[in-house]
Amino acid sequence: MRAPKVLAAGVVAALALTACGGDKGTTEEKGGQFTYWSMWKENEPQAKVIKAAIDKFQAETGTKVTVEWQGRDIRTKIGPAIAANKAPDLVENGFDVISSLLASTGQARDLTPVYDSEVPGEGKKVSDVIPAKYLDAMPKDPDGVTRWIVPYVLNSAMFYYNKADADLAKTPATWDDFVKLCETLKAKDKACVASDGDNTWTNFLFMDYLLVRDNGPGTMGKIVNDKTGAGWDQPGVLETAKRIEAFVKAGHILKGYDASKYPAQQTNWATGKAAFHLDGTWVPSEAQKNLASGFKVGEFAVPTTAGGANTELDIIPLGFAIPKRAKNPEPAQKFIAYFLKKDNISGISTEAKNITPRADVPAPEELLDAQKLLTDSPSRLPIDGVSGDYLDKALFPAFSELWLGKATAEQFITKAKEGHLAYWKANG
Amino acid sequence: MAVTSTAAPRRARAARGGPLERQASRLFWPFVGPALAFYALLFLAPIAYAAWTSLYKWDGMGAMQWRGLGNYQTLLDDQAFHYAVTNTVKILVVGGVATFAISFLLTLALREMAGKMFARSVLFFPCLVNALVFGIAAGFLFGPTGPVNKMLNLLGIDAVPKWLSIDNLPAMIIATIVWTATGYYTTIIMAAVDQIPTYLYEAAELEGANAWQRFRHVTLPLSWEVVSVCAVLWTVSSVKVFEIVLLFGGGATVSSAPIQTWTTAMYVYYSAFPGSSVPKLGLAAAAAVVSLIMVGVFVLILRRMMRRERVSL
Amino acid sequence: MRRIGHTIVWLLVVADLALLAWIFVTSLRDTQSIFNEPFGLPVPPQGGNWAKAWADGGFSGAAINSVGVAAVSSLVAVALAAPAAYALARRRTRTSNALTMTFALGLGVPGQVLLVPLFVGLAAVELTDSFIGLTVVYIGLAMPFTVYLLTGFFAGIPVVLEEAAAIDGASGLRAFVKVVLPVARGGLITAFLLQFIGAWNETLFAIALMTSDDKITLPVALVNFVGLQQYAGRDWGTMFAGICIILAPMVALFSWLGTRIIQGMTVGIGK
Repeated sequence: MRAPKVLAAGVVAALALTACGGDKGTTEEKGGQFTYWSMWKENEPQAKVIKAAIDKFQAETGTKVTVEWQGRDIRTKIGPAIAANKAPDLVENGFDVISSLLASTGQARDLTPVYDSEVPGEGKKVSDVIPAKYLDAMPKDPDGVTRWIVPYVLNSAMFYYNKADADLAKTPATWDDFVKLCETLKAKDKACVASDGDNTWTNFLFMDYLLVRDNGPGTMGKIVNDKTGAGWDQPGVLETAKRIEAFVKAGHILKGYDASKYPAQQTNWATGKAAFHLDGTWVPSEAQKNLASGFKVGEFAVPTTAGGANTELDIIPLGFAIPKRAKNPEPAQKFIAYFLKKDNISGISTEAKNITPRADVPAPEELLDAQKLLTDSPSRLPIDGVSGDYLDKALFPAFSELWLGKATAEQFITKAKEGHLAYWKANG
Repeated sequence: MAVTSTAAPRRARAARGGPLERQASRLFWPFVGPALAFYALLFLAPIAYAAWTSLYKWDGMGAMQWRGLGNYQTLLDDQAFHYAVTNTVKILVVGGVATFAISFLLTLALREMAGKMFARSVLFFPCLVNALVFGIAAGFLFGPTGPVNKMLNLLGIDAVPKWLSIDNLPAMIIATIVWTATGYYTTIIMAAVDQIPTYLYEAAELEGANAWQRFRHVTLPLSWEVVSVCAVLWTVSSVKVFEIVLLFGGGATVSSAPIQTWTTAMYVYYSAFPGSSVPKLGLAAAAAVVSLIMVGVFVLILRRMMRRERVSL
Repeated sequence: MRRIGHTIVWLLVVADLALLAWIFVTSLRDTQSIFNEPFGLPVPPQGGNWAKAWADGGFSGAAINSVGVAAVSSLVAVALAAPAAYALARRRTRTSNALTMTFALGLGVPGQVLLVPLFVGLAAVELTDSFIGLTVVYIGLAMPFTVYLLTGFFAGIPVVLEEAAAIDGASGLRAFVKVVLPVARGGLITAFLLQFIGAWNETLFAIALMTSDDKITLPVALVNFVGLQQYAGRDWGTMFAGICIILAPMVALFSWLGTRIIQGMTVGIGK
């Protein structure tokens, strides 16, 4: 009996200790304090840039910032933390994650005050340095707010290629030109595009872009939100699916893609085994260490089709958000505005090699084409902002069959519609 | 305590077992209590709570909304859950049959082998390894230009299988599970088979029984008890399969392995801790309850089947 | 026939060992060369992967956390389960049998059933993302198997021992601590080992409950590391070094106490 009693006492004491220990952060300091969960790991370049800014911010304002370098899995942790009432004061992620985890459930704070505040020392408001077109595209939260994120990285999705490759000197302007170029390359025994079969989000970019090129803005969003599934029956949608089918059947995708694991084929693209790669603007820095010698990365947008009217370009902003349940939102808001200062955010371009939403901060050299495209083109969200389990459960299983050459365009439409109806039956 | 009991020892002998019994009964609750408390708090209560939560719609942040059996209806309609159940059942049945067949073959092969203890130890080891490791290693070994395909190329096989295509992933996962589990079940079955007296085999041999007949009429019936316990163990462990699916192939998106590979455990995890949508704790709890029912049903079916088999012997 | 069987067994054994060796060798090579030539030898060996996994990959802190959580939870689990198992083994009343059965039924509960309730419960007492929370969960998860294993074990110890102790005037508690436990040492160690192995490899609860970087255990560190490469490009060398860090204690324990582990995991079932 003695042993368990001692143990029980130990457990109770330990419980009591942590219960007290948990609250020790509330000591009053001059500039207050806040907690910050980062999507980066401490040794990543983005983290280093942010850390430098935090150090300066702490020194200048006397605010204490407690950072946790969570890494990518932060997305699975934000919801539970809020549920456990342990919400951090500042989080960051791609707009899609923030939107579905926080904004869509009304758990994200309206950051309009941040946009109305001044970027310290620049005499400009935050809303002056971040173009409104990037923000107006954001999905609305239950209160109709779109300003629940302040981006400091502006990713996009487009084609990458080697500017030093003579065969690719002229980038295609229309889809037909693109397919023709693929044929030419094929004759030279060169693969056209690289793709990893399991990377369905990335592969779906082809379909997503061609859908809006063929059928106009917002097509995907309309299809998803029409619960009857009628959206899938539009002739234009079938036509786009047929483009994909033809492209797949023509063998323009680097062999082995249907059994590869990301990033195997992307690496093969970097080493020169395929001409083009369609994916997010993170590709150049990801592929950096594998690039063939003399490789000069350039970008072009997914070519237009038929009318040539639609030139929309995906924007994938990545930035700060504040949970409504945050206990110290004010100092966190101050830090957001502080980080957008040119000398802070520049590091995101120079060190982390990402494009920033500030047009006056030049993108890294390998992404200059991309930055120009972003500034010049109308913006849209990938898959019209649809995210979460509709994609994983309803759409992607059907699309991966089309992309892997296992289904025809018609079969894809049938299966996608089935998945669509099942999804809305389960979630409607 | 020690003082009071010193006086009684000699007399205790007469009333045989009396004091011991009394002691045992006095100490019973203090001894069992702490473990039972932990067990009740961390096992029994949560099961009840899961059943209760499964009747609500809840994101863990806001208020709970009564849904009745709505979550179970959702499971019926959800394609992802269909995959999850199908895969779990495949692991259980296909994987189970394969594991036990191979385990018996290995047991027979190991019977009179030199170095059998060493071989058995090596084969046993994989069950001590976190299955995440196998998931990652498989992604590398079976990649399109990975070692396995290169080896096949060397052997002159150019039409290499598409190991990691989404269609093949469930089969690959089952194969990996079978490979890691075989050593464990071989060891258990071997221990049981070793208990069978050799004279039974000698007798069977004298009567002209061949290897298969000896297996069928001596080995199998005499190790049946152990096999039926193993079958129950297998049922429970296959409904739990999680780690190996999470990263199989070193996945592109960690928080969402392709739904075609999901198991019920994966479904529960993904519903409760989704990467990019609202947590659905009620739905997760409903799926968890279904997986518990699955264990119960399969164990009952197995016990019936195994019993019938025993009678027919 | 028999020869074929033996050959197949040895082939499997060699394949298992080769896989382990390959993982180790690969952890000493740089990513580029692994990608080009998966079966190459490490010339020169790159200790750098290990250093990188240990420092940057966050495997060092995770390893310490894993050891801590696994050791403490196993110790407490055995300390709680041993008296319970002893009492259940010795007292054959209806209550006792029912309780034994209740504990054994827990063996049939898959972990995911407890996931949501334990998360919600721990969140309510602020024990998510806490070592204590995770340790308590592991202790709870260990109860059915540890009680089951030890009940079988204590049942095998002759009652004569306690009778002798009682004759010498020892109380029941004293007899248990001074006489039974020393005899049962082997079983207790086995129970501890098995629980340690289980906790070391546990992933579902660790990944769901632990969020802070400095509190994660090794499996979570590995999952995070793989996730990180989604943006940073594949670094196979470091990943295999991380895998080795997870594997090493298992290999060491198994080479040292293999027989005990195997018996603990299998013998109880045969009986």
